[in-house]
Amino acid sequence: MRITENMSLSKKLNILSDAAKYDVACTSSGTDRHNDGTGIGNCVKAGICHSFSADGRCISLLKILFTNECIFDCKYCINRTSNDVERASFTPDEVCNLTIEFYRRNYIEGLFLSSGVWKSPDFTMEMLYQTLYKLRTEYRFQGYIHVKAIPGASPELIQKVGFLADRMSVNLELPTAESLRKLAPHKNRKNILTPMRLVQNGMAENKQELVAYRNAPRFVPAGQSTQMIIGATPENDFQILNVAEALYKKFELKRVFYSAFVHVNEDSNLPARGDEGPPLLREHRLYQADWLLRFYGFEAKELLSEMNPNFNVLIDPKCNWALEHLEVFPVEVNRADYYTLMRVPGIGYKSASRIVKARRMGVLNFEDLKKMGVVLKRALYFITCNGKMMYPTKIEQDYILRNLLNVGEKLPISVTQMNYKQLSLFDDYHFRQEQFMAEAGKKAPIEKIIG
Amino acid sequence: MKRVYVCNDTITGIFSGIYDAWKTKLGQEQLGIVLKGCIDQELFCEYAEVVESEKKTIAVENLIKKHMGYEAYWEIYHAVLSSDKEKGDAILGMMLEARNIPQSKKIMQHLSHPKVRKVFELSRNVSNEAHYYREIIRFRELDNGILFSQIEPKSQILTCLGDHFTDRFPLENWMIYDRTHKMFLVHPESKHWVLVLDEVVNEEAIKKVSVKEKTYEKLWKGFFESVAIEERKSYDRQRQHLPLHYRKHVTEFQ
Ligand code: SF4
Repeated sequence: MRITENMSLSKKLNILSDAAKYDVACTSSGTDRHNDGTGIGNCVKAGICHSFSADGRCISLLKILFTNECIFDCKYCINRTSNDVERASFTPDEVCNLTIEFYRRNYIEGLFLSSGVWKSPDFTMEMLYQTLYKLRTEYRFQGYIHVKAIPGASPELIQKVGFLADRMSVNLELPTAESLRKLAPHKNRKNILTPMRLVQNGMAENKQELVAYRNAPRFVPAGQSTQMIIGATPENDFQILNVAEALYKKFELKRVFYSAFVHVNEDSNLPARGDEGPPLLREHRLYQADWLLRFYGFEAKELLSEMNPNFNVLIDPKCNWALEHLEVFPVEVNRADYYTLMRVPGIGYKSASRIVKARRMGVLNFEDLKKMGVVLKRALYFITCNGKMMYPTKIEQDYILRNLLNVGEKLPISVTQMNYKQLSLFDDYHFRQEQFMAEAGKKAPIEKIIG
Repeated sequence: MKRVYVCNDTITGIFSGIYDAWKTKLGQEQLGIVLKGCIDQELFCEYAEVVESEKKTIAVENLIKKHMGYEAYWEIYHAVLSSDKEKGDAILGMMLEARNIPQSKKIMQHLSHPKVRKVFELSRNVSNEAHYYREIIRFRELDNGILFSQIEPKSQILTCLGDHFTDRFPLENWMIYDRTHKMFLVHPESKHWVLVLDEVVNEEAIKKVSVKEKTYEKLWKGFFESVAIEERKSYDRQRQHLPLHYRKHVTEFQ
């Protein structure tokens, strides 16, 4: 470990923001709070994004580690104890000053404070507590704070920190206990899930207190989130999605973030380094599916199965689902209920609610649907208007798939910049574009293609 | 013969024009509003110069609030700030249309009317632009402790920013200068914000930043560089979210 006495603030900031950047959560959303007139800052429920970094990700919070000292040895992490990297630690006042001065200039919405495990989980958590306490009371900061709960820290400390933060998160890190054992030997499911449960219970109790006393202090008002690393371990999408679903249902998380594995260490337990870069398309598919879980009433087991455990590279999870369930289509737009409408490819939750409202005033036709934001070139295979389809079309998997592929999918630029090399990452999906084209030409049954 | 009222591109100007037009009790086809300097002389039009006054403005404001409701008031409020040259005419047209329908408070639902739709679109553009500036405004600390920011927006969005930053920085002296429209939004510590027109900016004074300012600018730029993940770099995506022409006064792009 190198000595870092007298290190300049800019050097520290450099090291400790660099070390924090792999954490994907950056949103400042989830709570509204006005300034009480005695300090600085407020919170806006929808969140505010202040800039975009060179990788195109939004910058909303001053995302830093308190320290990158760490006694743990997580294989995937640049700060693991066995790495010889330059170490630095802030003081609470340095974090407070940076937060306030950045905030005053409207650079940021607030602070995202995480940390390596310095000396012990409790010691680290205590440092985080002191920092937030200072920031809230001495510096009178009323903007957004997201803080990490350190696995293994005592419940009392986590509780105390929860009253100062807007959002708390504990990283699940990896989807299964097995992978955790292999790649994060100092962590285990229990010491990750315990603080998560604690925060959940704290929020529930706080809700009751707030009913009784309107001015009771608020505990983690913007809820908790977590993140999982994707692609460092062999779990398939089905396993990952099931874990996410369990977290939403059993732990009432606000968000689960997925982070495409980025190679920073050489380690025999990690997948071999190729030149394909992080699995961004896979990450994208998981976010799409996550969205379906949270807003569209889908369940993980509807989207994937043991037999078919990975998302399709070529089409999004909702289209994929629809193709697997052609028996429920076409649906009549003038009658189908809201939930059924949302399941139609090309109809989003916004257009579904517009349809439900508008059809009270009269019968809808295809032109009306278009005006309401329905993407007809996708939806036309799955709907009727007044009993009629838009064009005569076959309701057949491979026919529809081929047509949907012709229409193309709007992928984020970060994903489309992938070259063919990166697509080959999905070899274990039994899937290749060439293979698909060849087979589609032969009109092979779709099961063979999607694997 | 159509009557067209010629007014200044200010709230007072446009509302005074609406006041004059409204008084005539003529119909939509016979009335129009045009901003000074944008007159495209048409045959069969009679042009009338508007004499603007505070009294007329308040009368129109009350008329809107009372008969058209707050939703419409809010849309009009934003539309007036737009840089569109036909905004006055659109607002007048929408108000005259509201007079024709049974429930004038539901005027915003009549989006099939071209003038109503126009007001709606203008309003949406202005509030989007205002939101954009809530994100990318950057303050610099001047040597007298004032937080100073300058922007070059298309629309006159300063008043849309006032409440947001007042709630955020109640104890600071801050000021936003709109270079396009030469207006200031000024917030003295613990007071309400005010809009200041007809003042010139002291270009020398705004260059004198505090000692700390340089330090924090540098720290911020350093942070901005170091948070980007090398393996995920995508300048296209960055540009998609943050178009180049908005970056002019943004610290991290200077
Ligand atoms: S606990 Fe693990 S993931 Fe966290 S800083 Fe230490 S080594 Fe990295």
